[in-house]
Amino acid sequence: MEFTLLAAAAFSVAGFWLMLRWEAPRGNAAGCAVDLWDAGLTSVIAGLFVGRLTAMVTAGINPLTDPLQIILIRSGVSTTATVVATFAVFALLSRRDLIAAADAIAPSALAGLAGWHAGCLPTNACLGTESTLPWAWALPGSMITRHPVELYAALGLAVAAVVLAIWKQRGRPPIGAPASVALVAAGGVRLITEPMRISLDGGPVLLYAASVVLGGAGLVASYGAKRRRSMTRG
Amino acid sequence: MTMRRLLLMVAGLVVVSAACSTAPSGPLPDPPLPITTAELEAIVATDSPSVVNVWASWCLPCRSEAPIVAAATRSHPDVEFIGLNVKDRDGDAAAFIAEFLADADMTHYGDRGGRIPIDLGGTSGVPLTFFYAEGGELVYLHFGVIDEPTMARYLDEIDR
Repeated sequence: MEFTLLAAAAFSVAGFWLMLRWEAPRGNAAGCAVDLWDAGLTSVIAGLFVGRLTAMVTAGINPLTDPLQIILIRSGVSTTATVVATFAVFALLSRRDLIAAADAIAPSALAGLAGWHAGCLPTNACLGTESTLPWAWALPGSMITRHPVELYAALGLAVAAVVLAIWKQRGRPPIGAPASVALVAAGGVRLITEPMRISLDGGPVLLYAASVVLGGAGLVASYGAKRRRSMTRG
Repeated sequence: MTMRRLLLMVAGLVVVSAACSTAPSGPLPDPPLPITTAELEAIVATDSPSVVNVWASWCLPCRSEAPIVAAATRSHPDVEFIGLNVKDRDGDAAAFIAEFLADADMTHYGDRGGRIPIDLGGTSGVPLTFFYAEGGELVYLHFGVIDEPTMARYLDEIDR
């Protein structure tokens, strides 16, 4: 990985770790056999690897003849391949306890994503489209003030992570609901902020929309299952 | 056991990706045209914003950066994209253009001595990307591989 992305990676790992530590004494992963720290980091690293390989192949670069190119994460990863591979590896690592592990890791995953976006600060890479709002700022040497869109995303994801963690502790949600809400929040925050982000191709908006739809469906299914269980008991 | 499976999956992925990567076939494009610092400065001082991307066929990170440059040329047709090939051989440069920049809408120039990027305020390292506003004012100089958000952000700065 290039050094310019290390700050974002460090912020992300810090966010993930802090939320895990905050939730641990509150019985977050009680009964869950999966080591969330190991499973989370392994899944993300494997996901990035697959995403980078996919981007290389798409660009016509052979990973066998140019293996060092794999570490040039900065020159592009396939977001869709990364996300799919991350979920697949997490499912593989926690297959005996998948839904409970997904619920347990959900707030920490959101906090990690928040950290990744906040990691734009050291490299001054937070800015998006033009804005005249009081908190907008300009790139060095520019008069054009812009939305700090990555900080909007970081804030949205951090708030979602904290609210989700508190809801898990106090609200006793049905199994699968926290993971579903996390999917909705992760996709929703990106969908909302995407119009303020500048990109060459518009970004993987469909992927974010799919995340919201999938999370919504998961939420409906988890509450449906809860209702069926309570009716069976009754 | 899980670790062994993961390693096997990784090895399999690398092999499959290698098999999916193809080299171009057919005639090579023309090699980059020789240019001087003064000529390049005159080109970027025109009425349209311009981007000068410094690359070389022997520069491995330039290969990873090429798709971002190519995408930028397509998304910003109002910006003049110039490829400055440095310290290279004509045949190698033409092969690089055919393999990695064939679909990029840009003009390539050559600087065998590699002096022009330094004259323009850069370094002898590659890749480098210069962003010029209308009239040739240097807005930003990016050292190393440029990522897609940075490319998009500075294109938005110069293309307005």
